[in-house]
Amino acid sequence: MIQWLTATDHKKIGIMYMISTFFFFVVAGLLALVIRTQLAAPNLDIVSSHTYSQVFTLHGTAMIFLFVAPFGLGLANYLVPLQIGAPDMAFPRLNATSLWLFIFGAFTVLSGALVAGGAAASGWSSYAPLSEIKVSAGAGQDLWIIGLLMVSIGSILTAVNLMTTIFLLRAPGMTMWRMPIFTWEIVATSLLILMAFPPLASVLAMLLIDRHLGGHFFDPSQGGNVVLYQHLWWFFGHPEVYIMILPYFGIITEVVAVFSRKPVFGYVELVLAAFAIAGLSMGVWAHHMFTTGAVNDAFFSATSFLIAVPTGVKFFNWIGTMWKGSIELTTPMLFALGFMLNFLIGGITGVMLASPPIDFDAHNSYFLVAHFHYVLGGGSLFAIFAGVFFWFPKVFGVQLSERLGKWFFWLFFLGFNLTFFPMHIMGLEGMPRRVVTYPNVEHLALLNGLATAGAFVIALAVVLFGFIVLLAFRKRVPAPDDPWGGYTLEWATSSPPPEFNFHSLPNISSERPVFDARQAARRAAEGVA
Amino acid sequence: MPLFHPASVQARLLSGDWTIFLAASLVVAAIMFALIILPAIVWRRRPNSGLPPQFNKNPRWSIVYIGVPLLLVAGLFVPSYIRQKLVDAIAPSPSVVVDVTAFRWSWRFHYPHSGVTIVGTPRTIPTLVLPVGETTQINLTSADVDHSFWVPAFLFKRDALPGYENHFDLTPTRIGEFRGVCSQFCGVDHAYMLFRVRVVSDAAFARWRNSKGLATL
Repeated sequence: MIQWLTATDHKKIGIMYMISTFFFFVVAGLLALVIRTQLAAPNLDIVSSHTYSQVFTLHGTAMIFLFVAPFGLGLANYLVPLQIGAPDMAFPRLNATSLWLFIFGAFTVLSGALVAGGAAASGWSSYAPLSEIKVSAGAGQDLWIIGLLMVSIGSILTAVNLMTTIFLLRAPGMTMWRMPIFTWEIVATSLLILMAFPPLASVLAMLLIDRHLGGHFFDPSQGGNVVLYQHLWWFFGHPEVYIMILPYFGIITEVVAVFSRKPVFGYVELVLAAFAIAGLSMGVWAHHMFTTGAVNDAFFSATSFLIAVPTGVKFFNWIGTMWKGSIELTTPMLFALGFMLNFLIGGITGVMLASPPIDFDAHNSYFLVAHFHYVLGGGSLFAIFAGVFFWFPKVFGVQLSERLGKWFFWLFFLGFNLTFFPMHIMGLEGMPRRVVTYPNVEHLALLNGLATAGAFVIALAVVLFGFIVLLAFRKRVPAPDDPWGGYTLEWATSSPPPEFNFHSLPNISSERPVFDARQAARRAAEGVA
Repeated sequence: MPLFHPASVQARLLSGDWTIFLAASLVVAAIMFALIILPAIVWRRRPNSGLPPQFNKNPRWSIVYIGVPLLLVAGLFVPSYIRQKLVDAIAPSPSVVVDVTAFRWSWRFHYPHSGVTIVGTPRTIPTLVLPVGETTQINLTSADVDHSFWVPAFLFKRDALPGYENHFDLTPTRIGEFRGVCSQFCGVDHAYMLFRVRVVSDAAFARWRNSKGLATL
């Protein structure tokens, strides 16, 4: 126990990061079940409106800040040193600091539920003046601010650490252009964190100053400006969207290549596309603000449309990787295909929302809720499970059941689409987001009923996932070093890897050193025969 | 059955944009779904299958799959931009002006020319009365936190922000009653911050206005 609490080894820190984010995923998922139960039928009164506001605020906050974004950092912590042939991260103690800032910050946010007045209840974006002390007096909002400040500082430190590691600790032969795509995506993600999280820390600090030190940044009666809050929030918030997807593009690229038995198609293009996305994502933030009437809709619409192009490049490169391959439909590959289908829907509705006339109708309706759940749930979350099934044998040295894994995939895929597809139509039929209930008009009763049923299918799938993991530790079927025919250096060491990762490294002369070593061994064996 | 039932001149433009994007989306989705699913079927691994060809780029195709999306989004930008400008346009001399103030948790509709004021509560939902076929200018603001004025039948919303005044035109084309909601979360009674839009004939509107809002519609 003490060994784990004081660990500076990147693998232990990565594991603790990922396990704690899964804990927050379960918390946020249970909150989602409360939301879906309250919305199961029109005019229900299962939870009070004030409780409901806290529930969706914590659901969004936890899913975004405590699960989808930090899981990518946890995985990067674990994988990046292995993928570049390094013994550890550049700053191991700083790494531990980041982890514990994240964990304490996360519990600070959640502890709001225990104080008088309850947790923060202004939504995950906590727009001022709603989140100002005049309107939201409770300490829950303060705990939310302070907790997220800790989380954001932890993330900034992790980004510094990851970039330093990648730039300075690569093994001999591991040139930048031989790095795995996942590691490249982490470079782009870290850059985005360094650009986007300081504005987040600023807006949180400004809100805290307004609330307790007599500031009035966002108080129009004192010359403050409410649109300023939205600008700062989304100047962080849109890059955050890509912080929550770029690492997962990396997972998908690795998984698709290995299970197609082909090299990554368009390696250079994939890297350039990641940086194009990162760059463009800094210039699209006000598409969240088309309906304010206070921004240049045409400019932000154009930049938002453009981001579809490098995202399309990613899709075509994954398809190119599968093309004429030898595709094995393992659990990670099924999740990768599920990711592509779901993320495509989320991407297409994203292009639609980038058109201001559509946004005037769809903004802050359930159409928007459907869109971002297809991106973050159908996209990132599916990629997370692809990654979990892919690297679990490496991380824990035991195998997950492939048969049950496939059941889990299908259950999750069906449940996900049953939950979120109907939400598009709810939005078109005039249902706004963040409502505690809705009238029995148009098809809202039927559509919400379907979504609630789907949510419980997802819950069942997650229970099955827990069972699969428990079963793996129960049975302890030992995992070989390279169970899938992997390409990158993490498959060249034992499962789990030893302290400081490698006893010896293979020769690195391409972006697939383990594949090259395997081919060389096969040729040598054939030569002998 | 048409997908949208636009109830204003502006809503027709907006539903046109929806239609263009939905059509393009369906085509793109169909092609992409096929390109994602088919390889997994056609080139599924078979027992004893050897190593597939190890190609990793195709510059000619790169030009296609960068060029086509670029042209597509450029093509979509044009109708989107034109419609946005038309919807945002403000008529120089509207027939009716209504000052709309959002507050926690209802709406105040004030007709400055006739002096009619309607103030709602979450329990007594206020009604915004508009003449059919005439252009009404809405001046929108908020008395406390951010809100948003959304009438799904008009396919349109605009935020009501404290310290800001937003202006937009509504030109209803159908007589009838439509739902209006607040679509920016504003606290516990956000879901009950509703209003009605009652679109009436010119004559009925004049009668209602001359009676200072007392005549039944």
